[in-house]
Amino acid sequence: MEAYLLNLGVLISLYAILAVTLNFIMGYAGIYSLAHAVFFGTGAYAGASVALNFSASIFVMVPTAMLCAAALSLLLALPALRVRGEYFVAASLGLQVLAVTVFAEWKAVTGGIGGLIGIPPVDIAGFEIYSPGSFFILSLVTLAAVVAITRLLVRSSFGRSLKAIRDSESAALAFGKNIALIKTTSVVISAALAAIAGSLYAAYMSFINVESFMLDTSVLIMAMVIIGGTGTQLGPIVGAALLLILPGALSYLSFLPQTEIGSIQQILYGLGMAVLMIFRPGGIVGRGRAETGEGEA
Amino acid sequence: MNTFRLCIVVAGLHLATAFPSQAADHQIGALFPLSGPNATYGDIFMSGADLAVDHINADELLSGELSLRYEDSQALPQRAVVGMTKLVNVDQVPYVLSAFTGVSKAISTLAQRNQVVAVNGGGVGPDLAQLGEYFWNVIPLANLEVRGLVPYLVEEEGLKNVVLIYVDDPLGQAIRTELETELPTVGGTLVDALSVPTTAQQFSGIAAKVRAAEPDAVYIASYGAQQLQIVKQLRDNGVDAQLVTYSGYSVSEALALPESEGLIYTTQSVDYDSDDPVTKRFVDDYTAKYGRAPTAYNVNYYNAVRLFGLLAHALEDKGQAVTGANLLAERMATDSFDLVGGTVSFQDDGTLVAPIQINIVTDGAGQPVATVDVAD
Repeated sequence: MEAYLLNLGVLISLYAILAVTLNFIMGYAGIYSLAHAVFFGTGAYAGASVALNFSASIFVMVPTAMLCAAALSLLLALPALRVRGEYFVAASLGLQVLAVTVFAEWKAVTGGIGGLIGIPPVDIAGFEIYSPGSFFILSLVTLAAVVAITRLLVRSSFGRSLKAIRDSESAALAFGKNIALIKTTSVVISAALAAIAGSLYAAYMSFINVESFMLDTSVLIMAMVIIGGTGTQLGPIVGAALLLILPGALSYLSFLPQTEIGSIQQILYGLGMAVLMIFRPGGIVGRGRAETGEGEA
Repeated sequence: MNTFRLCIVVAGLHLATAFPSQAADHQIGALFPLSGPNATYGDIFMSGADLAVDHINADELLSGELSLRYEDSQALPQRAVVGMTKLVNVDQVPYVLSAFTGVSKAISTLAQRNQVVAVNGGGVGPDLAQLGEYFWNVIPLANLEVRGLVPYLVEEEGLKNVVLIYVDDPLGQAIRTELETELPTVGGTLVDALSVPTTAQQFSGIAAKVRAAEPDAVYIASYGAQQLQIVKQLRDNGVDAQLVTYSGYSVSEALALPESEGLIYTTQSVDYDSDDPVTKRFVDDYTAKYGRAPTAYNVNYYNAVRLFGLLAHALEDKGQAVTGANLLAERMATDSFDLVGGTVSFQDDGTLVAPIQINIVTDGAGQPVATVDVAD
C-alpha cells in the first residue's frame, strides 16, 4: 500500500511541476498553450537519451533536458509574439501535433513509436534513485524548488510585467514594456522547468514512448491548472493531486464494477468541470468569480 | 458500557483480520483497456481470461478460489504503471496479464524489480521477447507468423511478388525484415515497402502506389481501426491483389468487413474442432457463455490464466508458495503445457513456441487452411 501511495505521490509531484509551469504562462502571462506536453516530452526524451548514452547523473540529465526544451520553446514563442487568445491556442495545437509526429518518427533519438526502454535510474552522487520512497522525496524537493522559482519570478518586476501584459497588452506596450522579450522569456522559463519533470519522469518510469506526450496530456495539464485555480500558486498543485488521485480512489470503491471505473471517471471529470466552471470559475483555490491572477498565495 | 462494547467490536475486528480464511485463495491481476478507444479489446481479452478462472475454480485445481483483479490501463503506459503498482503492492498479485506493446514495456521494469510475472497475450511485436525473464508471451510473435506464412504464399498460392504496407514501429519493422529475409528463400520478392503514420486514415495515395507495383499480394502490418481502413480503401481504390496480414486482424469486426472476404491472415494454430479435451471444453463453454465463436485473443488470455493455474497447482503440490519467482522457476522446469490448441512449450526468452495457422476469411469468419510448424 505504501509503495502504491508513494508511486502516486511521485506522479502527482511531477504533474504538479507541469501544472505550475503551465500556470506560469497561462495564469500570469495569459498565454494559453495546448503544447505543454511537448516540453514534457522533450525533457523526457533528452534526459533519457543522455542517461542511456552518456550519464544518468541528475546534474547532466536535467540541465540537458532544460536546455533542449528551452531551445524548442522558441518555436512556441514565435507565434506567441504575433497572436494572442484563441489564435495562440490554435498555434500551440499545431506545435503539439508537429511534435507528436517528430516523437513518433525520429527513431534514432526517440525510438519511434516503440519508444525508449531500459532508461537507467537517476543518479545523485553515485546513489541510484528508483524506489518510490526515495523518488518521492526527490520529486517533492524538485516541485518545491520549481514553486519557489515561479513564486520568486511572479513577485518580481518581471511577474508584474507578465500580469500587465495579461490584463492589457496595449496598455503594457504604452508603458514601454518590451512585450516580445517578456513573452519569449516567460515561455522559455516555463518550458525549461517543465523539462525537469520530463527528465525525472523518464528516469522513474524507465520507459517512455509518444503515448505519454500527446494532446491528451496537454489537455490534462491544462485541466489541472483550470480546476485548481488559474493564476494561483497552490491551485495547479491541488488540480494535479485531484485529477491523479481520482482514478485511484475510484478503484477502491468496491461497489463499483471494476470494468466500469474508467467510464465513471470520465463522467465525473466532465460533470466536475462543468459544475466547477458554473459555480467556481476561478478554480478550487481561486476566487468564486473569474478573477484569475488575483488569488495567488 | 459503551467503552466495553467498543472494545468488543475492536477485538472482533482484530481477530477477523488476524485469522484470515484458511483457504489459500489466489488472486492474479490484469491490465486491460477497459475504457477509452481500445476498450473493445479489453472486452475480448476479459472473456477468455474469465472463462479460464471459471474452469480452474470449477475443477478445484487450486486449494482456494482464484480471482482476477482488473485495472484499467486504457492501453496507456502511465496508467498501466499506476495500475501495475497497485496490483503489485496493494493486491500483491504474483501474476499479471498484460496487453498492448506500450503497456507491456512500461510494466516490464516493475515486473522484474518486484519479481512478478507479466504475461502478454495480445501484442506480437518481436521486441516483446526482450523484456526480461519475468515477462512472458503466450502468443507467437509476428516474426514467427511471417516465417510460417511466406512458404505457403509462394509455394501453395503462387503469390511471389509482395508489397508491404506497414506502420513504422517495432512490429512493422520486424515484419519488413522477415519478409525481406524469407521471401527470397522461396523464390518470392518484396516489391515495395510503404510505411504509413500511425494516425493516418486516408490511403488512396498508398493504393495508387500499390496498383502501380502490380503485386500478387499486399501484406498489411497495421492494427486497430487503421488496418480496417487500409483494407477497405485498397479495395475501394481498385486494388484486387490478394490481401494478407497477421493475427492483429483476428477480431470479429475486422473479419465481418465485406472487403475482408478472401483475406489471408495468420494466427497461433488452434484447431477449434479438435477432440483435445482442453480445447473442446474451451470452445464449447466459450460458445455457450458468450454466444459466439472464440478468436485467437480469447484463446491466448484463456491460456495465460490456465498457465497460471497449472503452475500454481504444481507449486502447491510441492508445498511451495505461489510467488512470481517460484512461478518462473516452475515454468522453466516444465517442458510443455497442455493449453487450448495443443501441447506447447516456451523458448528461453519466455515466448511461446506454437504452430502457425493460416486462415482465409470466408463469410465473415476465419477458416483455417493450413498449419505450419515454425522452428525459431
